[in-house]
Amino acid sequence: MDDFFFSLLLAGISVGAVYALIALGLNLTFWTTKTLNFGQGSLMMLCAMLTVFLSSQGLAAALAVLGSLVLVAALGMFIERWTVRPALTSSGGSMGWVVSTLGFGIFLQGMAAKYFGSQAMAFPDLVFTAQDFVTLFGQYVSLQYLVVLAVAVALILTFEIFVRCTVWGHAVHAVSLDPELALVQGIPVRRLILGSFMLSSILAGVAGVLIAQIGGTVDPAFGFDLVLLGFVAAVLGGMGSSLGALVGGLLVGVISKLVGGYVSTAAEHGIAFALLMLALAVRPQGLFGRPEVSKA
Amino acid sequence: MLELRNLSVRYGAVRALEGVSLQAVPGGITAILGANGAGKSSLMRAISGIAPVAAGQVLLDGQDITTLPPPVRARLGVAHAMEGRRLFRQLTVEDNLKLAWSFGARREKLAASLAEVYARFPILETKARTAAGLLSGGQQQMLILSCTTIRSPRFLLLDEPSLGLAPIIVQQIYGFITNYAAQSGIVVMIAEQMATLALRVSHQGLVLRRGRVVLAGAGEELLRGNDGKTLAASYL
Repeated sequence: MDDFFFSLLLAGISVGAVYALIALGLNLTFWTTKTLNFGQGSLMMLCAMLTVFLSSQGLAAALAVLGSLVLVAALGMFIERWTVRPALTSSGGSMGWVVSTLGFGIFLQGMAAKYFGSQAMAFPDLVFTAQDFVTLFGQYVSLQYLVVLAVAVALILTFEIFVRCTVWGHAVHAVSLDPELALVQGIPVRRLILGSFMLSSILAGVAGVLIAQIGGTVDPAFGFDLVLLGFVAAVLGGMGSSLGALVGGLLVGVISKLVGGYVSTAAEHGIAFALLMLALAVRPQGLFGRPEVSKA
Repeated sequence: MLELRNLSVRYGAVRALEGVSLQAVPGGITAILGANGAGKSSLMRAISGIAPVAAGQVLLDGQDITTLPPPVRARLGVAHAMEGRRLFRQLTVEDNLKLAWSFGARREKLAASLAEVYARFPILETKARTAAGLLSGGQQQMLILSCTTIRSPRFLLLDEPSLGLAPIIVQQIYGFITNYAAQSGIVVMIAEQMATLALRVSHQGLVLRRGRVVLAGAGEELLRGNDGKTLAASYL
């Protein structure tokens, strides 16, 4: 195996893991409300920027990350209450949330540009520096890449177990299937929905910090196209499936890096959307999605 | 005891229920009768908390629950089988039962509760791993009844349990409801279009027409009184 291929594969897997985290975050709100927060990218950006800001104020790296995550989680609740819920209740199942979540994301991006400046800021090293590596199959593997991969896989396994094996996992599924029936069965629907937006925002924040760590810098525009790639990963893997998010994310990451390396970096994003179109044409429910079953 | 005081339900400009009062005592079955659109479902939805109450009160054992959200009412013991065979269709039969049990009163252990359901309706055990949406209509109704009773409710609301089912299944289901009401001693309320069917097992009946009570009384009385002509007239 030549070095070039291997390094592309590795880069693909680690960005793919981040796409998987974004896809997982999108899945979470989809589970409870069948909506997606298209402003996820701004939450990623904001979390990374806040981390830079807080650590520049002299806070320890871990505390800076934690503080940013708490703020982003609060924003997640705000998004549910003020951009998603009104859109869902006002005209009965409208698609208004697409515009309102995206709009709020753009707003956050603008605010970040105003207060943090639109210049790229250097992201501090959290656990490992870019120079830390191990040798694997005779290749240098950056430890930062491995951390990203490990965090993504651990989170995805946790979610998969939660959804499949716990009562609350079933309750979340129930809310997405029939919220009214869930209500009369005593399931605290409101709290589950709010919780899903909080967790989804936290996942976005984690993804943002991880990818900023790999890239080394953050700027207000950061995260916007990443969400689109996360969306492709979610659809490819099957909307709502955690395992699908992981596989979809890795596929998008690896394929786009390989195309970027062997064909042209300009084609990196294009190929991801070609994958999306292919998936929608051939297997609309995604790799791990379940087609709807019902009898009248 | 379940009590409604001058209850009104409005969906925007549409008046679904106007000043309905009612008292249902434990151990008895109350039949809510009426044609399509008379307000039967709205009455039940107002009790479980998913219909907009414009005026009046809903009381459970004297406690005013009119402003409480639906999950809180469910925890107080209200179990509502909604019309149109509402189930989590993508979930398996057993997952539906488990979910209902988990958010119910949990008076018995899960295993014991499941065993009880399966003993009563063996077909549900055979189909335990099947998606609920793939069951036949009768099996779905059995599952719905089991999902409401597995929660050990104190107030059981059944919306048209006979709708679209074969007569023999209807008999089986009504047999179960009557037995359950007698054994558990809880408040049971049935909304039905088939008046004679419901009145035969009920202690009291209430006929709605355009959201208002037009006839009320003991079940037997409504069925036999004036040779049932009054009952028939109230539908027209």
